[in-house]
Amino acid sequence: MSVEYLVEPDLDFINQVVGLGGDSLKKCFQCATCSVVCPISPENKPFPRKEMIAASWGLKDKLVGNMDIWLCHNCGDCSTLCPRGANPGDVLGAIRSYAISEYATPKKLAQAVNDPKKLPLLIGIPAIIFFVLALITTMFGDNLTALLGELWTHGVDKNIIAHTNFISTWFVDLVFVPLSIWCTVIFALGLKRFLADMYIDAVTQGKVQNPELNIKELLKSVPIVLLRIIKHEKFNECGENQERTTAHMMVLFSFISLLMVTGIFFFVLYLFHIPGPYHQYNPVKILANIAGISLIIGSALLIKNRLAQKDQVSAYKDWYLIGLVLGLGLTGMATEMARLAGSASVCYFTYYIHLIFVFNLIAFLPFSKMAHFVYRTIAMIYAEYAQRQ
Amino acid sequence: MDKKYCVYICTGCGIGDSLNIEKLCEVPEEEGVNVKTHPFLCGKEGLALIQKDVDDKKANTLMIGGCSRRVNFDKFRFDGCIVDRINLREQVVWSHPRSEYPAPTEEQKDDEEFIDHVQMLAEDYIKMSMAKTEKIELPEAYKLENFSNRILVIGGGITGLSSALDASKAGYKVTVVEKENSLGGYVSRLRMQMPVESPYETLIPPIIDSKIKEVQADSNIEIKTDTIVARIAGQPGDFTVTLKKPGEKIAFDVPFPVPEDQKVDENGKDLDVDQIAEIYKKNNEGREDILTIDPDGERFGAVVLAAGWRPDQLEEKDYAHLGIGSIPDVITNNQFEEIAAKGKIKRPSDGKKAKSVVFIQSPGGKEDDSDFKYCGSVTSMVALKQAKYLREDYEDGKAYVIYQHMRTPGLAENFYKSLQQDPGIFLTKGDVTTVSQEGASLIVKAENTLLGNKIAIKADLVVLAAGMVPVTVDDPIINLAYRQGPGFRDNDIYDGYADSNFICFPYETQRTGIYAAGCIRRSLTIEESMEDATGAALKAIQCIESSNRGVSVHPRSGDMTFPDFFFQRCTQCKRCTEECPFGALDDDEKGTPKPNPTRCRRCGTCMGACPERIIGFADYNVDSIGSMIKAVGIPSEDDFDEPPPRIIGLVCENDAYPALDIAGMNKLSYSANVRLIPVRCLGSVNVIWIKDALAAGADGVFLLGCKHGDDYQCHFVKGSELAEIRMQKIGDALASLALEEERVAQFEVAIDDYDKLPGIINKFAEEVEALGPNPFKGF
Repeated sequence: MSVEYLVEPDLDFINQVVGLGGDSLKKCFQCATCSVVCPISPENKPFPRKEMIAASWGLKDKLVGNMDIWLCHNCGDCSTLCPRGANPGDVLGAIRSYAISEYATPKKLAQAVNDPKKLPLLIGIPAIIFFVLALITTMFGDNLTALLGELWTHGVDKNIIAHTNFISTWFVDLVFVPLSIWCTVIFALGLKRFLADMYIDAVTQGKVQNPELNIKELLKSVPIVLLRIIKHEKFNECGENQERTTAHMMVLFSFISLLMVTGIFFFVLYLFHIPGPYHQYNPVKILANIAGISLIIGSALLIKNRLAQKDQVSAYKDWYLIGLVLGLGLTGMATEMARLAGSASVCYFTYYIHLIFVFNLIAFLPFSKMAHFVYRTIAMIYAEYAQRQ
Repeated sequence: MDKKYCVYICTGCGIGDSLNIEKLCEVPEEEGVNVKTHPFLCGKEGLALIQKDVDDKKANTLMIGGCSRRVNFDKFRFDGCIVDRINLREQVVWSHPRSEYPAPTEEQKDDEEFIDHVQMLAEDYIKMSMAKTEKIELPEAYKLENFSNRILVIGGGITGLSSALDASKAGYKVTVVEKENSLGGYVSRLRMQMPVESPYETLIPPIIDSKIKEVQADSNIEIKTDTIVARIAGQPGDFTVTLKKPGEKIAFDVPFPVPEDQKVDENGKDLDVDQIAEIYKKNNEGREDILTIDPDGERFGAVVLAAGWRPDQLEEKDYAHLGIGSIPDVITNNQFEEIAAKGKIKRPSDGKKAKSVVFIQSPGGKEDDSDFKYCGSVTSMVALKQAKYLREDYEDGKAYVIYQHMRTPGLAENFYKSLQQDPGIFLTKGDVTTVSQEGASLIVKAENTLLGNKIAIKADLVVLAAGMVPVTVDDPIINLAYRQGPGFRDNDIYDGYADSNFICFPYETQRTGIYAAGCIRRSLTIEESMEDATGAALKAIQCIESSNRGVSVHPRSGDMTFPDFFFQRCTQCKRCTEECPFGALDDDEKGTPKPNPTRCRRCGTCMGACPERIIGFADYNVDSIGSMIKAVGIPSEDDFDEPPPRIIGLVCENDAYPALDIAGMNKLSYSANVRLIPVRCLGSVNVIWIKDALAAGADGVFLLGCKHGDDYQCHFVKGSELAEIRMQKIGDALASLALEEERVAQFEVAIDDYDKLPGIINKFAEEVEALGPNPFKGF
């Protein structure tokens, strides 16, 4: 190749990455210790040295569509051993955060999710929505029952403590089902661009051995990668920060379990008209309880690890996500406890808070750090398929 | 001086255990010289023993056998006495262990054929000392008739002004000459400068104004702007300086010697002396001879040379691929500084704002990673500084620095770090291949960068790192009225920098009394230049305070001797004048040398050069060393059936002699057939010594001195190199005596080569032994 790469630094990109927790990026003097010590970096065109120079030169085009930023699992070995304190691990984290915003639309929302000043707004919107829905349910519940009968109540006795008596299940699902669809569409749009960018970057940079893109073949890599993710294989290769493996595993498994529980509940309700709350010995309920507890413990451990990590930067984006996860777990379990204890007011109040957390999780999923589960998985699948070694 | 000899032998430090002291004492006793021994001579009692003899006027020529002259020199100092140290410790007993050279057993004591090598070695050294002390005198210092302690500073830039202030604070009168019509030099034309104090992170306004004010307020300092040096005549302590306006032609402009290419005719044949004299007169018509002293000249004791540098002119023919000369927006760092000093950074071609600027630190090329000539850490830092200018001027400015070497020594690293943090400054190593114009922009292409193989950058302006050329490249500046010429000789080995031995002797030039500081010596930052200025000022003061007492400045600081000429026998061959590394000798019309003792560094190169052997020092001369050589006992077949060979080693006392001492301290042993004689410098070795040695029956002679050539380590610049030339010539003389050339050799050692010395000496000793005994032995 004799074509020169035209270097066009983007100062705004540098400033944004700095703002997202990559404030040390300019300290790098390209000794490549990071690439050498990284336990999971490939031999061919290893990261994160090249990402560091690209970041300090503001070469956005070399970074947002770069799969390597996702192959990084943020062990922190590079940051610990960096002789210059440039913290490549944190810089890559900041770049990932930037990339998530870059692929997500609308941009304004992406910026709001990463901006602590916008947090009241992010909380306020669902707070108002659910407040209104609670008002309607409690004020006009009887009228609606009279009008719609069993269809409205799903057969739940209006005198027991049940969430639907506070905010109707209909209302809840009418919020979250479209929200989930919206979220999926945004992800799909982002992923389409990401996959194309990642493919071009990988091929032009000569990172992969397989330069073709065959979607059928690509799908064959999915089970291999999913198994790897489930087992947290990459996490275990890390030198530093090994202890977060358990915590991350707990959180991940909890989310998978809770997703299953919610799905079962949804189908059972609308297909068989069997409403909650389930009996405590119901296998679904047992799974839900275990997942709820493990979500709390897992996220608490993550917080503990982060606080103990003196040489790793924890930016707003990190705290937003962990706070959200912990909040989800705590409010979920508190709602259940209060219900069992027979305190309707406490139960309904915590449920209200819980719904605000859930809204934040789903609505802002493609914009928050949480989106990593999609981008990293896709990058890992592509890397497996295209043989990034 | 009526010499009263006495030998003192210390028996401590293993000397008494190894040697038969009683037998050793017989050596001086046989010559009627007193001997005293003491088990701890450098102790209070031992010293008192010597002092008593001195006080009682029983001894004034003391030969002290014990440790090396390089240790305890302060203790064995007896004013008014000749003191010679006999190195029985490091170079006899420590380096020749009894395990290797056994002492005679009871039965062997009367065996005439038994050879006690160590004892013979010690005895020879005592004999050599007695021979030497007979031939040397107590030196008397050379006193100048006229003396000035004023200091001349050439150059009114940051270095010159700092030097003037430092000298003034130490109480000396200083005159600063500056060729321009105002003080300040290059620093006064800067927008900003590198930081000079902790934390070394941000640019500061140039600090020259306060210096200028300080100098102007100093009553010890006289300032002469619009002035240059026409000539400096005389010698340290007594320089007569003629000043003039730049461009003026005056009678006291210094005459230039006849260049080499004018010393031959069209056929390449050497012209004779008279013809050369004719050419000299023609070349220098209207100029007074160097020996004519300007009656209106100003008198100075020493000179600080701080004439600085000029920006290198980068020629289109040398760097066509970078567009210099052909593209108007490709400029040098110096031009960039001029633009920056005027205001915001604008392009020279159309006056538009230059927001994307590429700084190129190395001319590029795939096989060559060298920088522009005369570049170094300063030009690296200038690029960083100028990148910062751009960022100060434009919030969206982008400054790229492409380098092969980014040098930010010492705390300048902090500055580098802080600049690196600027989001708009981009640094990469890389080979710049081309700079081309595309529309209104420039495209800089580079390969092998940190960003990948081939990159292109769009720029408004490209800045090349032109180096800092010392002004001594263009002009002698000092215009010395010296026979060897007005400037520094062979200065090209220092790339034109005013230097004599960068590592060992900073500020020293090849001319005593002239001390270089600042960018004329090497490229320096402003901060470093100010520090350099202090160093040179102190050197100038040292020179004045040594010249006034008639002692050597350096490196033989405090040496009271100076070369003495027996002119009646001089043949005017001019070899001393030509070969003196410091231009200490002038000559008159007839060619008779005129010594200038305060210019002299006492290396003795003249003494080594003189074919008539009419040059010597009070305590070091052709006869004293010759006598030492002749005092070495040469065992012949009359003494032993198998007489041991004898080898003379003439050892440079600056590096080689201490290295031998260190070998002794480390108990490294070498041949006991070698007799070592310290010399001031191999340049002082007169070939007669080698002839003397071989004629006396020595089997071989070697010279041990410093490295020469480009990276020489000779303390007197040229000594070991001249010795090598002379040794090559001696080969013919040896052949005519039917002696093998291999009997004479020269070895180069550094002071830390002590571990290699035994190998070098033993190998030579074996080779000489293999040649068989010197046929002149026993004659």
